[in-house]
Amino acid sequence: MEFKKTATAEATELSLSGRLEFTDHDALRDIIGIVEQSGGKRFVLNLADLAFIDSAGLGMLLILQEEVESHGGALAVRGAAGDVKRSIDLARIGEIITIED
Amino acid sequence: MDAAFSETPPMPPPVSPPRAFSLLRDRVPADMAARLVARIGGIEVGEPDPGEPGGFPAEPAVEAQLIDRADRDLIRAAFGRSPFLTVELGEGTDGPAALLDDWSAAPAAEHPCRPGFYLSLTTGSAYGLQCAVLVCDELARRGVLDPHRRSDMELCLHEAVVNAIVHGNLGLSSAAKGEPGGYRRFSEMMRARLGDPAMIRRRLDIFCRWDNRSITIAVLDQGGGFDAVLAAAGGGGTARSGRGFVFMRALASRVTVTDGGRCTILQFDR
Repeated sequence: MEFKKTATAEATELSLSGRLEFTDHDALRDIIGIVEQSGGKRFVLNLADLAFIDSAGLGMLLILQEEVESHGGALAVRGAAGDVKRSIDLARIGEIITIED
Repeated sequence: MDAAFSETPPMPPPVSPPRAFSLLRDRVPADMAARLVARIGGIEVGEPDPGEPGGFPAEPAVEAQLIDRADRDLIRAAFGRSPFLTVELGEGTDGPAALLDDWSAAPAAEHPCRPGFYLSLTTGSAYGLQCAVLVCDELARRGVLDPHRRSDMELCLHEAVVNAIVHGNLGLSSAAKGEPGGYRRFSEMMRARLGDPAMIRRRLDIFCRWDNRSITIAVLDQGGGFDAVLAAAGGGGTARSGRGFVFMRALASRVTVTDGGRCTILQFDR
């Protein structure tokens, strides 16, 4: 998985691409580092270019939500489509994380 | 000269292409051939033929492709020759020795004539290979996999493979992920176990068979096993793990866990 960061005064957005899966724990650590620096702003994960997410990747989204909230921010996920949306829907992640179209 | 020499980047190890290894009945000890037959099923060991060298007919009992150290290109090249077995030997082994190793037992074939293939990798190689993609590519190449069903099958197989690698062969529990900062500890444990030669030599086996009605994929590991009932019950709410079985149960026609959690069998109706 690769990601690109865009920051504004109101929000930090990360655009994820490729596959988010069980081998991406190092990337998760890097993203949590960005969360820690974002200072409680709104944090958006844009999954429009993500091709695949597995159950471990969904677990990483939950970890990120907890990290964002612990720094006073709020996490939203947007742009999920295709196989990624299928996985999010099957696991009912929308009941826990804010999902935007 | 010495300084200049030391700055030269190390040469990558030479890559050996897949090589054919036909288990000819006149080259394989009878007990070994019988053991292979018992494991993969469907191939009968004939009666000794006095007219053949070694006493057995010179037709291959099992077509195999052997790979010294697997990568995606080598596995695809081996699959392209349509063997029944594709086996990564791993470093420091040779063909006959690897075949004598105690592979995880594949489930006995109920229908000996059904086609199929068997991929056996070391954990160290399987970790980064996206095995589910490779296997689904091969099922599609052999005309077995409906493109509209591929996505669901690939996710189920991926989850079974991840369980076999992470929780089976690497022996990692997801419990650490549920603790504050646990992702760091889990990541460190993962890195440590991937550096353990004994653990990364454990085998991950994927065994595919099909007929007109269904495709069956067995994923086998050499780990300590797990309580399948407890594992299948997890994965709800805010849990950071356990959703792999949620996916498998939702998308596969049937999911069966055997051998104390070391074998997950996925069945997909066609």
